[in-house]
Amino acid sequence: MEQLFLVVVSGIASGAVYGLLGLGLVIIYRATDVVNFALASMATLAVYVALMVVDRGLGVWAGLLAAVLVAVVVGLLVREVLLRPLGSGRLFAALVMTMGVSLVIEALVSAMWGTEPRAFPPLVAGSVSFGSAALATQDLVVIGVSAAAMLAVGWLFTRTTLGSAMRAAAESATTAQIIGVPAQKVARIAWALGLGLAALASVLYAPRVGLAPMVLSAPLFRAFAGIFLGGLTSMHGAVIGGVTIGVLENLAASYVSANFRDTFVFALTVLILLLRPQGIFGTRSFERV
Amino acid sequence: MLDRRTGVLAVLAAVLALVLAACGGGPQSAAPGDDGSGPITIGAWIPLTGAQAASGVPQMEGAKAYFSWLNENGGINGRQVDWIVKDNAYDPQQTVQAARALIGQDEVVAIVNANGVAPSEAAFPFVLEQSEVPIVDHYGGIAAWYDPPRPLLFGTQTLYEDQAAAMAQWAVESGARRLVVVHDDPKAFADVAAQIGPAATRADGSTTTTAVPVKLGTTDFAPAVSQVEAAGGDAVMLILPAPEAAAYLKAAQLQGVTLPTYGYSPTASSTTVTLAGAAAEGFRAVSLVRAPTDQSPAMQQFREVMATYAPSQPADFSTLLGYANAAVFAEVVKTIQGPVTAESIVEAYRGASAVDTGVAPTMSFSADQHVGTRDVQRVTVRDGQWNAEGDFVSAPDRS
Repeated sequence: MEQLFLVVVSGIASGAVYGLLGLGLVIIYRATDVVNFALASMATLAVYVALMVVDRGLGVWAGLLAAVLVAVVVGLLVREVLLRPLGSGRLFAALVMTMGVSLVIEALVSAMWGTEPRAFPPLVAGSVSFGSAALATQDLVVIGVSAAAMLAVGWLFTRTTLGSAMRAAAESATTAQIIGVPAQKVARIAWALGLGLAALASVLYAPRVGLAPMVLSAPLFRAFAGIFLGGLTSMHGAVIGGVTIGVLENLAASYVSANFRDTFVFALTVLILLLRPQGIFGTRSFERV
Repeated sequence: MLDRRTGVLAVLAAVLALVLAACGGGPQSAAPGDDGSGPITIGAWIPLTGAQAASGVPQMEGAKAYFSWLNENGGINGRQVDWIVKDNAYDPQQTVQAARALIGQDEVVAIVNANGVAPSEAAFPFVLEQSEVPIVDHYGGIAAWYDPPRPLLFGTQTLYEDQAAAMAQWAVESGARRLVVVHDDPKAFADVAAQIGPAATRADGSTTTTAVPVKLGTTDFAPAVSQVEAAGGDAVMLILPAPEAAAYLKAAQLQGVTLPTYGYSPTASSTTVTLAGAAAEGFRAVSLVRAPTDQSPAMQQFREVMATYAPSQPADFSTLLGYANAAVFAEVVKTIQGPVTAESIVEAYRGASAVDTGVAPTMSFSADQHVGTRDVQRVTVRDGQWNAEGDFVSAPDRS
């Protein structure tokens, strides 16, 4: 029973990271119709900067702050300089652009910091015992910080004027503009928020596996699985989808077969999408004409 | 109208012929020749970008440092070595392109210290069969490459299967009788892991082995550690890449699973110690080269060469592997009297025995034996550093 608890909590910690990344993707997608494949590489760049801050003795929390700032600045630069000039409705052009940006940033990170994995310190060291099992305190912090960030985003979107404006813009940018919602400002805030969440996810994830130029490739893949499971347009769907993926993959590895871990998880995702193509929490959308 | 069309077709045919020639698409009638005076031009494809660059870049820097030192100290029998490296990004298609460029344009006489098992296999037909250019001192490799031996392929690194057998022997010698093998699930890892059981049984008939497969790329080893604990072993054998081995060690430490743990050569890496930190303490691995902390003159020279020619790179296992491969090539080619060609290099390798670089096991090749060694160096992490346990030891016979 203790082992099951360990497997589930550890899976929730992994899933929280996928959920944060997924949430960042969904916020950006809803506000600007851009599926940002460069999200992970921008966040990785930010974590390398965070490591520089940590190495200067300023502490890991200062590193976290630096990571969020860098990710937001880089994200806004990419949007304003490369994506905004494409104009609206250029979904595939924007998609390809973010893929290209991702590759460029990966190359930049490799050139600047090398390709050898580096250790990144946890926010909190130590462990907590549960019977014969033990959990890294960092895992509990990951869950707590992620939950707090997700609740803050939920509060922003449901309880503030800005959140209402962002939701209005997400429903229809044109209509929102007619009623006085500044679409570009909303888009910039969405990118900043999305990149900030991705940077947070990366700082929480890096201590587990070390920091390398492509460290977030696998979590990004799972975050995408999570948002398709939860619903591409649903913010709480992205979070729940990510956590579900994290827990399921741990359960599958422990009680089904490591060989079929991903197969099991993604077969379930495919099954759910067959039954409900818009994802569990997504809403059906009509083709634009 | 017909003349005009014919003319266009002729121009297209000429352009096609030029493109094919530039790509090296036609068969090479013979390996490039050698006038006996200019530089010895050799090449390699190495992943310098992408996920595998973490091993490729230091491997290249180590070999480059060696060749720079060699050239400043007389080269090979007075001839400079021009080692041309192409980035293959660990991609088979890009590797074939790199091979075509190296052979067709740069006219290398051999591929030396290349990297990438699957990518290299994609280039074998063009390099080994069509162009008849030898591939020597490949970084990594599989048993099927050398059994039966291919005429133009020579290796310098103890096969992973032999490393697994050497790990098993070490564990049994240390008193372990119930081994738990944690390995990644792809066949390349599973086949290596499968060698541990038989080798352990040959060392002691009472030994049992339990396999715990994990998914390649696993970052959360809590489930695997639970399975190791449930298996009730007295030693753990890791057939995992270094970052995953580090993640396992950290998870095991967290759960209080303190069994003696062994790894194969990819885990004998500074990455394991960097990422696992204190959890790496006591971890044992078999290495293809001497421990970077070794105080022998050859290893001191290695550290000096790295400090001089590649000061931004650490003098660690990764750079040492590239350095060692380059050194083996130089030692073998030194024995060539006359032109250095593809043919003479192959002949030199076939006849090379007791090739001693001081940093890797002593190598011996023959017409039937194209892997120069079956030896490994046992190393253990103590005080955050890899330390040697005695000298090189031979892997037990697997037949």
